Amino acid sequence: MPTEVAIEVTVNGRMFARRVPARLSLADFLRDHLALTGTHLGCEHGVCGACTVSVDGVSARSCLMLAVQADGAEVITIEGLRDTKGDWHPVQTAFFENFGLQCGYCTPGFLITAIELLQENPTPTEAEVREGLSGNICRCSGYQQIVDAVLAAAQAGQAAAKEQTAGG
Amino acid sequence: MNETRFSNQQMVGTSVLPDEARPLLDGEARFLNDISFAGMFHAAFLRSDHAHARLLSVDILAAQALPGVRLILTGADLLGKVEPFRSMPNRFSGGETVQHWLAVDKVRFVGEAICVVIAEDRATAEDAIALIEVEYDPLPVVTDARSGEAEGAPLVHDDCPNNYLIRRDYSRGPVDEGFAAADLVVRRRFRIGRKQALCLEGRGCVAAFREGGFELSLWMSHQLPYVVRHYIARHLGLSEASLRVVAPQTGGGFGQKASIYPEEFVIAWAALQLRRPVKWVEDRLENMVASTHSRDHDIDVEVAFDARGRILALRSDVFVDVGAYSTYLWSAGMEPLQTAGLMPGPYVVPAMAYAARGVATNKTPTGPYRAVGRPTASCSLELVLEEAARKLQIDPAEIRLRNLIQPEMMPFRNANNLVHSNVAYRECLELALEKSDYAALRTTQTAPGKLRGVGVAVFAELTGLGTTTAVGPGTLLQPGRDAVTLRLETSGVLTIGAALPSQGQRIATAMRQVAADELGMRIEDIRCLTNDTGMAPYGFGTFASRTAVLGSGAVIKAARKLRARILALGAHMLGRDIADVTIVDSTVISLDRTASISLRDMAEKSFFSAKDIPDELNEGFDITTFYDPKHGSFAAGAHVVAIDVDTETGAVEIVRYVAAEDVGRIINPAVVEGQIIGGIAQGIGEILLEELIYDDQGQPRTVTLADYTVPSALEIPRVELHHANIPSAALGGFKGCGEGSIIGAVSAIACALSDALSQRGGDIHDFPATPERVIRGLGVMLDT
Repeated sequence: MPTEVAIEVTVNGRMFARRVPARLSLADFLRDHLALTGTHLGCEHGVCGACTVSVDGVSARSCLMLAVQADGAEVITIEGLRDTKGDWHPVQTAFFENFGLQCGYCTPGFLITAIELLQENPTPTEAEVREGLSGNICRCSGYQQIVDAVLAAAQAGQAAAKEQTAGG
Repeated sequence: MNETRFSNQQMVGTSVLPDEARPLLDGEARFLNDISFAGMFHAAFLRSDHAHARLLSVDILAAQALPGVRLILTGADLLGKVEPFRSMPNRFSGGETVQHWLAVDKVRFVGEAICVVIAEDRATAEDAIALIEVEYDPLPVVTDARSGEAEGAPLVHDDCPNNYLIRRDYSRGPVDEGFAAADLVVRRRFRIGRKQALCLEGRGCVAAFREGGFELSLWMSHQLPYVVRHYIARHLGLSEASLRVVAPQTGGGFGQKASIYPEEFVIAWAALQLRRPVKWVEDRLENMVASTHSRDHDIDVEVAFDARGRILALRSDVFVDVGAYSTYLWSAGMEPLQTAGLMPGPYVVPAMAYAARGVATNKTPTGPYRAVGRPTASCSLELVLEEAARKLQIDPAEIRLRNLIQPEMMPFRNANNLVHSNVAYRECLELALEKSDYAALRTTQTAPGKLRGVGVAVFAELTGLGTTTAVGPGTLLQPGRDAVTLRLETSGVLTIGAALPSQGQRIATAMRQVAADELGMRIEDIRCLTNDTGMAPYGFGTFASRTAVLGSGAVIKAARKLRARILALGAHMLGRDIADVTIVDSTVISLDRTASISLRDMAEKSFFSAKDIPDELNEGFDITTFYDPKHGSFAAGAHVVAIDVDTETGAVEIVRYVAAEDVGRIINPAVVEGQIIGGIAQGIGEILLEELIYDDQGQPRTVTLADYTVPSALEIPRVELHHANIPSAALGGFKGCGEGSIIGAVSAIACALSDALSQRGGDIHDFPATPERVIRGLGVMLDT
C-alpha cells in the first residue's frame, strides 16, 4: 500500500485533518476526499490551468501539487468564492453577465486566476488581462468574453472603491 | 389584437442571461467525473505502443494478483459475446473494416485499447496496467495517405486494397472544356496537419447496473445520447427500453464526442458482468491518442479562370489520411467526401471534378471536428483565388465579388449539386470590406522587418440539415429530425424536454426564449431538460450546427399546439370565446382585460379539480412534436484579417480581425457572438499552431498540451463582429452558427500569409504556418 501521511489543510475557511496517500495530488484530494468537485482536471500536467486553486493567496496548479505539500496551507477553490452573505464574488458576477463561459470546464481556473490578477492590478489594460490569463486555456470562447468579464469586474471594483471613498 | 395593449417582452433577439451557466460559476455543475455511486469500480485501459503489430501474447497474471483488481478483459474475452464495430456502409467504401473493442490478433495504431482493468480505485487499475506484459510482432506501417495508396504499400486492413476506406470520383459539367478555354489555370498543393478537438474535458462514462428502472444507466460525456443508446443496445444485444443514456454537463464536444468509441461499450459490458457501477475517465494522454483526430489533408487543386478572373472549372485530388479505422458511425467518408464536395463554397463553379480518397494509415482514426472538411475545402480554393488575383492583377476582394453567388441568382444550384438561397454572401463581403476600411488596410505600412499581409475569405456553411441531406455523405444516415416535449406542469412552469445536449451553446436558454415568445410566457417560468433519454423525446443530438435550428423549430411547432390547448381551456374557464383571449406574462387574459387566469391556476385546476372541465378541453398539456426542416440552410460569413509577419523569426501577429456573418435570425446575440469568436479562435489555432505529429514508425510525438499548442488569450486578437443576416427558410428563420467561423479564420489568415510572403516572391502551401514554414515560405533555406 502507498505510504500515508497526516495533513491539516484549511479549505474555503474550514480546517480538515486527514491521512492521505503520499502520492495523492492536491486536485484529487480536493475532489475525491473533500468532494469539492468544482476544481477540474484538464491535462494533469500543469499546462491548461483548469485546476488552478489559490494556496496561501497565490494561484497554484492543483494537479502539479501534492496534497501533502498543502499541509498547513489555506486553500481557496471555486466553491469558496461566495462571500459570507452568500453573494457571488464580483468576478463570478462579471463572468455571468458578460457570457464569459461556454462549457464551463475551464471556468474554475479562470476565476481563481482573474481574482489574483485583479488583486495584483486592479486597473489592468486589455493587454495586461490577456497576459494575465495566458496560462489558462479555454477551448470554447475565443477569450473575448472572458477578457471583457475581467475588464468589467475591474471597472465594477473601481466603482465600488470610489463609492466607499465617497461614502466614508 | 391590439399590439400596444398586449405585448410580451420579445425574448428572441435579446441576450437573455443563461441560467444554465449559474451552476458552472458556483463549481456545482456535475460533469462526468463528478458522478459517483456506492460500490463503484474504476477502469483503466492498456493501450498499444506499437503502430502496427501482431499481438503474440498478453500476460495478465501478475496484474490479476494485485489486491483491488476485480476484472481484466482482453479482446479474446469479448470475442463472440459482443458485436464489434463494422464500418458503416458507404456507397464509396473501399472495403469493410472491423474494429474490435479490445484488439484481437493485431493492433493498428498507437493508443488502440488492448486490455481493460477494472479495480476498486483508479490508481490500482493503473498500477495493474503496468504489470501486464504484451508481446508484439511489429509489422510495416503506413503513415501517409499518398504512399499508403501506392501499390505494394503495407495494408492496414487486408480487405481494403490501396488502403482505400473511401474512394469517390466525381464529375459534373464541362470540366475539360473549361480548362481548354481558360485564360489562366492556377494549380496549387495544399496540406494541413492532423488536429485534435481538444475538449478541456476528455471522454468518459459511468455505467450503473440496475439504477432506477433500467438494466443499465450510462452517464457519458457525449453529444448524441439517443444514438449511443441505440448502438449500445444493438452491440450488447440488449433492449433499448432497458437502457438509459444521460449526457451530463459536458466540457466541450466539437464533434469529437459525436462518434462512437469502443471504451464506453467495454465499460457498459463490464458493468453488466460485475453487476456494479463502473467509471472510466479518459486522461489527457489517452485523449491525445485514442479520441478521434481530424483533418490531415493533402490536396492538389487546379482552377480554370477567364481573363476577368471568373472560375470556369475546378479539379481537385483529395488525399485524406483517415487513420486506422472507419470512424463509427459516420464512416471514413466524412472528411474526404465533404472536403472535395464542398470546395466550391459560396462561389459559382460551372463545372467540377474530383477524386476523393480516404486512406487508412496506422494512426488514430479521424472523425468529425468543427466544420468537417470545410476549412480545408475553403482554404484550398481561397488560396487559388489569391494567386489568380495576383496573376491577373485584380484586387483579391474584387475577384471574390466577381465569383460569388449573387443574390439575384438565388436559388442557385452549383456544380456540387447544392442549392443556395436566402444567404448573404455578397452582403457579408461588402460589410466586412466596409467595416475593415479594406482599401486603407491594404496600403497601411508596418514596422521595418515585418511584412503586412491582408486576407479576405468568404465561406458557406450548410447548417440545420433536414432529412433530405445526408450528414454522413455516402451513408444512409439522415439525422434530420428531432423532437421536443413541451409540458405545462401543475405549477404553471413549462418544461422543455429534448435530447439536445449543450456543450456551452446555451441550447436550453435558446429554446426557452423561443418558447416564451410563442406561448406568451415569462422566460423565468420555463425550464429545460436536454440530455436524458430517460426523460426526453427522440432526437439525434448536438452536431453539425443543427441544434438551435432543429430544437427551436420543434419548440415552435409544439408551442403552437400547446398554445391552442391553453387558449381553449383558458377561454372555457373565463367563460369567453377562444377568439377573445390571449396569453400575456404567463396568464390567460381576455382581450378586454376584464378577466384573467394565471397558467398556474389553470394548470393546477386542470389536474387537481378536473370534475367540471369537459374532457375534450383537458387532454393534457404535454405535447411532443418532431421537426424536420427537410433541407439545410446556408449560413455565411466574410472575414478580413491583417497580419504582420516577422521576417526574422517567422512569427505571425494578427493585427486586425473583422468578421461579417449571416447566421439567420438570431436568438441570443451574446451567445452567437461567443460561438463565432470561439470558432475563429479554433481557426487561428488550426492554421497557425496546432499539429499532431507522427514519426515514420507511427509514433505520436505530440501527446501533451506542451507539444500540441492551442491558442491562449495572447494569440487571439479582439474580433470586430458584424452581421448581415438573412432569415432562413427553416421555421423561425434560424440558421446554425456553431461551426462556420472556423472556416473563415483558417482561410482568411492563410490568404493574408500568402499575401505577405508574395511581397518577397514567396508563398506557403503547408499548414499550420509554424514560424519554420513561414521562414521557408520566404525562400530561406533551412536545414531539416
